[in-house]
Amino acid sequence: MPERSPSFHVSSLPRFHRGWRLFIFYSSALMLTGLVSMLFADLLWRTGWSTSRTVLLVLFVILFLFAAIGCMHGIYGFALRLFGTHQRITQLKNYRDQKIDGISTAIVFPIYNENVRRVYEGLRATYESLEKTGQLERFDFFILSDSTDPDKWVEEERRWFDLIRELDALGRIYYRRRLDNEGRKSGNIRDFLNAWGRRYRYFMVCDADSVMRGETLVDLVKLMEVHPTVGLIQTVPALVNAESLFGRIQQFANRLYAPLFIAGLNYWALDFGNYWGHNAIIRTEPFMQCCDLPQLPGRKPFGGQILSHDFVEAALMLRENWEVWFAYDLEGSYEETPQAMIENAQRERRWCQGNLQHGLVIFAKGLRGVSRLHLILGICGYLAGPLWLAFLLAFNWIRWFQNYTGLSDITVHAFTPYLNLSGTAHAFLIFAICMVVIMLPKILVLIDLANDWPRRRVFGGLARASLSVGGETIFSTLHAPLLMLWHTRFVVTNLLGISVGWATQKRAADGTTWTFALQRHWGHTLIGLVWGAFMWWLDETLFWWFTPMLAGMVLSIPLSVFTSRRSLGIRARKLGFFLTPEETMPPPEITSLRAHLKIQEIVGDTAPRPPHAGVAEAVLDPYVNAIHVSLLREKQLNPVYAEQFSRLGAGTENVRVLGEKLLAEGPDKLSASERLLVMADQSTMVWLHQQSWQRPGESLASWWRAAILEYSRRD
Amino acid sequence: MESAVNPAILPDTSGLLAGRPLEEWNAAYAKVESYFHALRVRNKALLGQLVLRVLERAQRRAPAAPHRTATQLAAEEMDHIVTEWFADVLQVPPTNPDQMLSTRGRLALLLADMPGKWQEQFLRPGPWPKEFVSAMRETFLRAGPDFQLSKMAPRPLDLGPITTLTNLGRLPYFKMVFAWTLFALLLVVFFIFTHH
Repeated sequence: MPERSPSFHVSSLPRFHRGWRLFIFYSSALMLTGLVSMLFADLLWRTGWSTSRTVLLVLFVILFLFAAIGCMHGIYGFALRLFGTHQRITQLKNYRDQKIDGISTAIVFPIYNENVRRVYEGLRATYESLEKTGQLERFDFFILSDSTDPDKWVEEERRWFDLIRELDALGRIYYRRRLDNEGRKSGNIRDFLNAWGRRYRYFMVCDADSVMRGETLVDLVKLMEVHPTVGLIQTVPALVNAESLFGRIQQFANRLYAPLFIAGLNYWALDFGNYWGHNAIIRTEPFMQCCDLPQLPGRKPFGGQILSHDFVEAALMLRENWEVWFAYDLEGSYEETPQAMIENAQRERRWCQGNLQHGLVIFAKGLRGVSRLHLILGICGYLAGPLWLAFLLAFNWIRWFQNYTGLSDITVHAFTPYLNLSGTAHAFLIFAICMVVIMLPKILVLIDLANDWPRRRVFGGLARASLSVGGETIFSTLHAPLLMLWHTRFVVTNLLGISVGWATQKRAADGTTWTFALQRHWGHTLIGLVWGAFMWWLDETLFWWFTPMLAGMVLSIPLSVFTSRRSLGIRARKLGFFLTPEETMPPPEITSLRAHLKIQEIVGDTAPRPPHAGVAEAVLDPYVNAIHVSLLREKQLNPVYAEQFSRLGAGTENVRVLGEKLLAEGPDKLSASERLLVMADQSTMVWLHQQSWQRPGESLASWWRAAILEYSRRD
Repeated sequence: MESAVNPAILPDTSGLLAGRPLEEWNAAYAKVESYFHALRVRNKALLGQLVLRVLERAQRRAPAAPHRTATQLAAEEMDHIVTEWFADVLQVPPTNPDQMLSTRGRLALLLADMPGKWQEQFLRPGPWPKEFVSAMRETFLRAGPDFQLSKMAPRPLDLGPITTLTNLGRLPYFKMVFAWTLFALLLVVFFIFTHH
């Protein structure tokens, strides 16, 4: 087993240097913010100071600081890529020759009602890639299911068996479903660690849509071995497999911009990095010792279970003197992205809640300053939306107040007379600086690309990449006001403790339907129209300055529908726009994933299944029933699970009564939780299998008779 | 001359077979066939033979169980035949049959790939090929390695005075007082903004 946390900290870089890096980096952002804020304050002063202008200035300073920090990540990242740096986990020591014999690593896939087919194909691609390295025997794979949908549960078991048979991976790929969802994803991981954690020196967390290259997995283990003080290494997953226009734009932005930004992030974070919840390797022992998350005091939204566990887990590792690094130059780590704006917003909503909760965690005693910084930056990502909205509203208020009171627009001399600017020119200068701060990283990315011929080629050439950057900028300009409105809503509803349920997206074959887009965006469109009319009434010139923002809102419905279209994404690809390296030169693991998914599509394995198909399989199919029952039986060997079984009521007469009801009246007559309870009871499942085949048809619900008939017709 | 068909398996003069109408046996046949089909016995000749074997046993029992339908009898016999065969192949003593024997047997069939490799051995009395017996007896489905149990324990986060603040929400009428305070603050802000 790995050694306990060292009593002294062995840093790859003296603290003094890291402190300086942090100081220099954030000082740059603060200096830029300070200077531009002075200019802005001066502009406000020229038309007469007021309380509302104070509010506007404060909001400007905060928002500009966010933008400046983003810009600095781009600038520092660009410089580091241009001049090179050795302060990377992959450059500190030679790890390539490190032997990993006898080192055991678990690769875990926590899943929750996911697309089973996609998860398992991702796992297959990772497994096969690892097999090619010749190091497969050092790794075990775990599918850690938290699924609450009985049909998904059965499908997971059935496909797991198919997978292990096809890969001959019995005893290499394991499946475990929890009986309750306590602690959600972090609870799922904790449950795995409590059952098997001590068997593995490291564990690697993958998301449901993750794919990892075998060599990358081996490299990560080697890196952990040569750096005994490192507790966690986070890779930077590349977005892949997007087909819709929205997905491809996000994917392109991720692949083109991320290397610069993460290099900038690594400049100041170094061994005080962060954890993003997946595609990362973790040293098991320290994680088990210090990362079982406590409940936060108070009520929701801040109190209770920590939802966004990853940042907090990294902070807790750092608190115990373990290092956390970004391995941003390791290729072969992939994930997927939502294919439509609405799906993306749904994900943002979940993350928003978790990040806001970090507002409490930042006060936890003993955390490192850098950890607090990571947490604050995460929170700011969501607070920026409401702050931007407040800024716009404050600006509108000032303008309206000016009109309403009939106060003059005449400007006085600036505090900065040396600039010799008119009021309009002064305002334009600030606007231009803001644009430069926002756009500079994108320009630097293109310069970086121009310097790198192989990379330029996989992005479709400099000209196409530049045009794609232009397209992405136009899209993000239209998308940003929608994110602003969404984030504002998420923040406000979360703070008020209101849970906003979102129906599952109704997708047409080619993306979001018009009806669904109308349901989700009518508010945005209305706000855009009303706001636009107000601006026009207030000041026609001003209206034109606001058109990019208003256009995003007014056009939100068609924007949402068209960008979700797969056909448009494919057309853009054919024209050479938004190309990424994984599209132009697909790596073997991604090719394998796509090929398997395509085969399944061709053989009809992707057809939607009728309701309760899983229940029918688990009861009627002799093999699926046998797999299901034997998995339940094996679980009984763990005293924790055995206790959970008895807490659930498995094995009681009540379950048998529910089983009888299931047979006599059909699965529709049982609630989802009742169906789950029946399916968690091994003796009832054996009994159901026997009864369903032995009883005369009249004593079975018509649903069962139809299901049995279906079996007799199957080929 | 010997009859072409054994009269015992033909209906009697009143059109009944083992005392039951032919329609009942037809339903019983369909049920048994469906189950073997579900076990992926795909060879039609074999499938037909296995079904007839089950029905034969059911027909023998039929006169002694006049209140049971042919389908019930056939389904029970099918279960008995399959479970007995599992007991033989897996060497489970018939005097103490495992309640889960059927489950274990079906799982063994799947792991041994009976539908793909050993269809002809299914329900056949022994001796069986060594490879088949070993595949049936020695393969186990393992959903996980041996447990190595431990217990992670959360360490509380000391939030200092923030803990006190988070408990404010528990005070009675806190939300109401908070809403009123917010309203008052809004009025003050509005006043300041409009009077400068």
